Amino acid sequence: MTSVLCTASATANDASKGASRDFQGRISLQNGFVLHSRPYRESSLLLDVFTLDFGRLRLLAKGARKSKRGLHSLLQPFVQLRLSWAGKGDLPVLTAAESIGGTSIKLSGPKLFCGFYVNELLLNFLPSRDPHPEVFDLYRNTLDQLAADDGMERILRLFEVSLLGEMGYGMAFDREATSGQPIDPAKRYVYRIEEGPVENDERTADSVGGATLLALERKTLNDPDELQEAKHLMRRVINYYLNGKSLKSRDFFKQVTKSRP
Amino acid sequence: MPKTGALSQLMQALRCLPGVGPKSAQRMTFYLLQRDRQGARSLAESLLSALEKIGHCALCRTLTEGELCNICASPNRDRTQLCIVETPAEVYAISQATGFKGLFFVLNGRLSPLDGIGPEELRLDLLEQRLRSGEVAEIILATNTTVEGEATAHYISEMARKNGVRTTRIAYGVPFGGELEYVDGATLAHAFDGRKDF
Repeated sequence: MTSVLCTASATANDASKGASRDFQGRISLQNGFVLHSRPYRESSLLLDVFTLDFGRLRLLAKGARKSKRGLHSLLQPFVQLRLSWAGKGDLPVLTAAESIGGTSIKLSGPKLFCGFYVNELLLNFLPSRDPHPEVFDLYRNTLDQLAADDGMERILRLFEVSLLGEMGYGMAFDREATSGQPIDPAKRYVYRIEEGPVENDERTADSVGGATLLALERKTLNDPDELQEAKHLMRRVINYYLNGKSLKSRDFFKQVTKSRP
Repeated sequence: MPKTGALSQLMQALRCLPGVGPKSAQRMTFYLLQRDRQGARSLAESLLSALEKIGHCALCRTLTEGELCNICASPNRDRTQLCIVETPAEVYAISQATGFKGLFFVLNGRLSPLDGIGPEELRLDLLEQRLRSGEVAEIILATNTTVEGEATAHYISEMARKNGVRTTRIAYGVPFGGELEYVDGATLAHAFDGRKDF
């Protein structure tokens, strides 16, 4: 376990007294991930972090880019950290960060791009400073799965469905929205956002097979056609909730795949 | 202090430099105007002429006055080796430290999906052309050890593989003369993972 202190460290006593949700005093050794970091001033970093008990929040890591103790190398996405910070205002200051377990990034290659996408979804969907421990577990599991498994598309789709569900945008895949009939794997449906699947025999761009819906319900997506349909469906639903905002990592993906002949 | 006028305008302008806050900007302004007006003039002139003359090298994208930089124009370099770095400063660092005789390609950034920086912004199309021309036999990846640097390295290595170019990557690990006990955990883990036959 590595421990890196960048300013005066919080003692264990301080932490137990001050661990409250309103950022009075100091927060110590909070489980969290860096979702995104950007340079700030000459040597600092602005971090968007996702923590177990405080949800998504923004921290200032003072002097992190010049730190001789490797703070910068520690504050990378996809690595589980214990973060300590202090400050009451909008921008608390990171006081310490240490890694849990290994520090090397387990994602590589295309999986890394998937990781960026997952992070961007969290940045867009998680409200600031609102604890979501279930999403935290979901995120941690998704990263582990991405590292261990090659079924990237399947992992991403199931993450999207679960994330939307946790954020209160749950989707129904098992029953027809108007009649309440169970979904027939052989029929085709159009998914009406915030209502559910509606039977529709025409094969339009938005239509999706019953088999795909059932696979999403049972979390057993495997068939390439089903994966493709699920991708279109989830893209449409996510775009709806993003209110016209585009996902940069998705544009990036497009650029990357376009430049590959 | 008046907020307008040439004096405060100069102070404000100086603050665009890294590490210069209001106090240093004030000190520099008064120094230039009171003690060294000649120096101030030559600073202003060299800034203007540098801005006008210096652009990106057509081959490697580093900063240069001419069409090609000194390294790319030199006939004595090994044109089969191409080292990929993120900034022009890294070209100097590697040249001075290693005696590398090949050519460079400067990305002027790194792929960062969440900041909207993709292959087009880094002009990786130029690199692709270079690889396709068949002149390059080995690509040496010297991107930074951040997640974005990693993503960049992966993307370029894919590009190289497609064009049948050998890809190597600089080793990461314990600094020379370093003692293991004091090396940070992330570096040590990297060094351990990347151990080689001895």
